[in-house]
Amino acid sequence: MSRYVAAALAVRVPAGSSSAGRHPGTGALPDPVPARGSELRAGAAAMAPMLIAYAPFGLLVGAAVAASANPVAAYLATWTIYGGAAHLATLDVLGHGSGWAAAAVVGLLVNVRLSAYATAMAPDWRGTSVARRLVAGVMLTDAPWALARGHAPAGRREYYLGAGGVLFVGWPALVTLGVLAGQWVSALPVAGLLSAMTLGAIVVPQLRERPTAVAVCVAAVTAVLTAGVAAGPALLVAGATGGAAGALTARAGRARRSGGAS
Amino acid sequence: MTVLLAVLVVGAGSLAFRLGPLLGADRLPVAVTRVAGWAGVSMLAAVTVRTVLHHQDPSVPAAPLLGAAAVAVCLLLTARGVSLLLAVAGGGATYLAATALVPF
Repeated sequence: MSRYVAAALAVRVPAGSSSAGRHPGTGALPDPVPARGSELRAGAAAMAPMLIAYAPFGLLVGAAVAASANPVAAYLATWTIYGGAAHLATLDVLGHGSGWAAAAVVGLLVNVRLSAYATAMAPDWRGTSVARRLVAGVMLTDAPWALARGHAPAGRREYYLGAGGVLFVGWPALVTLGVLAGQWVSALPVAGLLSAMTLGAIVVPQLRERPTAVAVCVAAVTAVLTAGVAAGPALLVAGATGGAAGALTARAGRARRSGGAS
Repeated sequence: MTVLLAVLVVGAGSLAFRLGPLLGADRLPVAVTRVAGWAGVSMLAAVTVRTVLHHQDPSVPAAPLLGAAAVAVCLLLTARGVSLLLAVAGGGATYLAATALVPF
């Protein structure tokens, strides 16, 4: 048991995508075809400690499910919506007496970021079978995507599937626990911060890539400026401004390099 | 019925968000996927910032400030190469220590 705990504590978030393909010291490229099984295991091992950090959030969602007017339908959303923030937002709007349409719009706005994740990972899945893409899509959410983005391109698909598989099994388990005994978590304010810390910690190593760093800074400022706006539209604006800033920075970098070369 | 309808609509839409780009992966330009990557990371950062700004704790004044300090410690530890679980534990411990020290 202690061996597994030690392994979980030792897991570090992978470095940014630009440098992750190379050895940090020598700059050498890694083996082109890593073993699939080892990448699956590495992804699962990277996700496992995050599951612990996600536990309070999962319990909170479970508590919201238990308090819903229709707990069975709300519990079904653990798999259909498969995203804590959208799940909570949808149940919150319903709990305030708004109709299903208003709740659906809010939930969809919170989850629209998933299309950005899916678009970003599309190059890795070109040429693979439809079945594999379906599996990858069904388990797509913040943490596995961000973890895989920081992984070297070789073996990234298997790494993603390992991380996504652990969360796909672990998340419903946490929500189920929350349904049964999640009320006490609401009394711990620090619990609300843990998932944010986890997501932030996944992003930090990727800041070594300049366009990503600029995108994150712009998005953070945008998030402060739009703090009073509902989560869905605010996240869309942050994503748009951050994405544009990243693209402009990358273009400026290319122009600088080509100018220096000529 | 209202809850079930909302859950099914959000679920169907979320599945479309997830699967649409992946099933059409062969037709997506590389430039679009790169911008989507920056947009995705930006939204993760925005989620973190919004969580801190909206943090509520009736037991302390200026809860968002304490939340920001705790998240900052966590991110700093991650940047220093500390494992994720320990970094999150460090951030959480910072928050708990600060709430114990700050007079109400």
